[in-house]
Amino acid sequence: MSVQAKTSYDALYKEFKGKAEALSAEVYRVPNMEEAHQLITKIIGELNVNKVVYAPSELVDAVDVKKIATATGVVMTSENLRQNAADAGLGISQLDYAVAEIGALAGNATSIESRMVSILTPIHMAVVRTSNLLPNLMETIATYNNKLGELPRYLTFVSGPSRTSDIERVLTIGVHGPGRLIIVFID
Amino acid sequence: MATGNLKKDINSALNNDNLTGALGRFGEAYLPAREKAYEGKDFEAIREKVSQCKRNAADNLEKLAEQFATQAVKNGAKVFRAKTGEEAKEYIAKIARDHNVKTIIKSKSMASEEIHLNDYLMKHAGIEEVAETDLGEWIIQLCGQRPSHMVMPAIHMTRGEVAEIFSKETNQNLEPDIAKLVKVARENLRNKFLKAEMGISGANIAIAESGTLVMCTNEGNGRLTTTVPPVHVVLVGLEKLVEKFEDVGPILEALPRSATGQKLTSYVTMMTGPTPAIDLDGNIVEQKEMHIVLMDNGRTEMRNDPMFKQALQCIRCASCLNVCPVFQQVGGHVYGHVYTGGIGTILTAFLNSFEKAGELQNLCLRCERCKTYCPGKIDLPGLIAELRRRTVKKEGLPMSQKLILEKVLTNRKLFHSLIRTASVAQKPFVKGNVIRHLPLFFSGLTEGRSLPAVASTPLRDKVGRAVPTGKPKAKVGYYAGCLGDFVYPEQGEAAYKVLNKMGMEVIFPMEQTCCGIPATQMGAPEVAVTLAKQNIEAFEKEGLDYIVSLCPTCVEVLKHHYVDQLKDDPAWKARAEKFAAKVIDFPTFVTKYGQDLKFKNLGTKVTYHDSCHMKRVLNVWKEPRELLNKAGVELVEMKGCDDCCGFGGSYSVKMPEISKAILEKKINNTTATNAAVLALDCPGCKMQIAGGIDAKGKNIAVKHTVELLADALK
Repeated sequence: MSVQAKTSYDALYKEFKGKAEALSAEVYRVPNMEEAHQLITKIIGELNVNKVVYAPSELVDAVDVKKIATATGVVMTSENLRQNAADAGLGISQLDYAVAEIGALAGNATSIESRMVSILTPIHMAVVRTSNLLPNLMETIATYNNKLGELPRYLTFVSGPSRTSDIERVLTIGVHGPGRLIIVFID
Repeated sequence: MATGNLKKDINSALNNDNLTGALGRFGEAYLPAREKAYEGKDFEAIREKVSQCKRNAADNLEKLAEQFATQAVKNGAKVFRAKTGEEAKEYIAKIARDHNVKTIIKSKSMASEEIHLNDYLMKHAGIEEVAETDLGEWIIQLCGQRPSHMVMPAIHMTRGEVAEIFSKETNQNLEPDIAKLVKVARENLRNKFLKAEMGISGANIAIAESGTLVMCTNEGNGRLTTTVPPVHVVLVGLEKLVEKFEDVGPILEALPRSATGQKLTSYVTMMTGPTPAIDLDGNIVEQKEMHIVLMDNGRTEMRNDPMFKQALQCIRCASCLNVCPVFQQVGGHVYGHVYTGGIGTILTAFLNSFEKAGELQNLCLRCERCKTYCPGKIDLPGLIAELRRRTVKKEGLPMSQKLILEKVLTNRKLFHSLIRTASVAQKPFVKGNVIRHLPLFFSGLTEGRSLPAVASTPLRDKVGRAVPTGKPKAKVGYYAGCLGDFVYPEQGEAAYKVLNKMGMEVIFPMEQTCCGIPATQMGAPEVAVTLAKQNIEAFEKEGLDYIVSLCPTCVEVLKHHYVDQLKDDPAWKARAEKFAAKVIDFPTFVTKYGQDLKFKNLGTKVTYHDSCHMKRVLNVWKEPRELLNKAGVELVEMKGCDDCCGFGGSYSVKMPEISKAILEKKINNTTATNAAVLALDCPGCKMQIAGGIDAKGKNIAVKHTVELLADALK
């Protein structure tokens, strides 16, 4: 990443982090794959979970989750997710874009793995490339609109953990989806 | 019209402390949350885009439906066009039977409520359970109620009630702790998600260009419903169609902000064709079955109606409910059907029953608040008034109203002499300056409520032509309005004083009469047209530069309605336009042309009430504050300064219970300021609020701004 590019992403990242944290998401940023591996190992170690499910993807594979499983002693799997995702403590998947203005992530969740690990587990960890930060929703829509023929079958936007205000309009985090959303940006 | 049940429902809602408490808290929290979500955004620009793309979609509804269907089939989905709710239900039942489905999970579908799908599937498709998965929907499903709000279906219930319902469902003794109750719902519904053989969802947007369905949820139930079961049915109404993918931009900018005050919902899902699923045995199904039921059920009929076509611009954010003073008092259940509030009244007419809607329009105050907040730019109060007009056309007016409107109101001399007679006849009934019965709005001669006394001498006998000292700057026609003429002549006299001091020659055209709004509201447009012509003629004779009135509703009618009412008669239209161009409300006129006025310092503590039609129809709210400041009052703003007072013309007579409840809130907000005077710019609001304050024995004077200005003149 050039110095110039880095400065513009610094600003977008800062805006994203503020907006996403206001929605109760937890946001981290690391400069390279090696540090991503270390950070995620550390987070999983602290989460005190036995089973982790993941959706294979370019970034998740590069982080090397198998090695994390060995280091932390958790069961790490992407198989038989109707069962495994239902009782896992954490799910890891990649999302494509981060929308700075509103603290939301967007990405292709067509694969069944990607969806299962991000909606059945109580904690969802999303990894995303820092260089895919976009300023706002309208630009994100425009980005997909430019490649309309290749629109993913299941395009998902995620902002913060699952929530409800259905009882007396009192905000409660974690209903049917994850109660925690951890976002790791990799430069 | 059978208002018996409606009245009963209203009374029980007003007496339900849980309901009014929950709704009151919700109503208060909504506005600041919405405002924060729109920070840095140009709401007017967004709603312009939203209404444009929805209008375009309504114009090309059939074409877009075909395009959507073709594209969705290309994407791998099966599409069924259902003309009626019955057809939609039969089709979905068949899918269920074909797959031997026993349990279904459902999320985000008002359309399925509209056609009572759950009931049908249980009765006709051998389904054992259709579980609503949205927390609010599940709550009301468990206790057998209807949603009271399009976005927050259980907003009318308290945590205590939810704890009771969940305790019964789970055979446990649950505490009224919201976080714990939410957890109970998660645990109970999780199994249903994992075991269901079929998922049914709705959609917020359907994109013709790409065959994509967009769904906004917060809880994650929508994603589970569309992911876990191997068969997915989407039930979507034709009104959700938009032409292009890029149209979702403005809708997503507006929908969550207007609905719940969020910048975006936690999850937005855009589905373009079926996706892989895992069956109950754990096998991956590469392409699950996706059925899209594109339902009409009255929507094309709505589209084909030149006036109601506009209602298809709705994006179902429910902000019209959130800001509605009536909804805040009585909740959604009095609307008696699935869709509630302002938009609900309109949708009910086309998707359910015109008769029911004709009755529901009585709930609307015409405070115009919903219209200012609607991201689809729908003229909700206008459409509701049109419902009224059509009901009257079909059923006719009650004889007493017909007689009064047609024979009395259009005969100015008779009308005015009757009011004068009333001023004498009322004498035995006057208590202080308030009487019990007055045939002023002609809606219910003997309905019990306090009204101000008719003045012993009307304004027209006190003022005439008043010439200022020095050369007149302009010739101003004074339009009094019924209340200004016969009940509050002192306001008119104060206005004359201020106008003369501004250097204006003021004239009172004697043949002026009622502006016509009661006739319009009661659904007698031909009476309103007669009155329009009488007023235009009365003022034309005088060669005026301006026509000024103290009543915002009269100004609205004179300035905007007449031209519209006479648009099909070229000669009269031209006269109405000439007349309308001269009409101006009092605060704007004084702010513009009274800059030389000198005031002494009044020093009184004053709070200001924004009248609905002054603020939202005429967009005048800065001007009266500026004038009050000039008059040296100490202005303290009250909470909800632009909340309706509950008057709404004949509304206070037709719906006295609701009117009184809304008034109560206004009075509480007024007294909380400790002001000595409540200033306002509408004689109707004065009648309502002064009446309420008087009845409560509070020591606050209610004055029209003009009275304070006249007092402060140097």
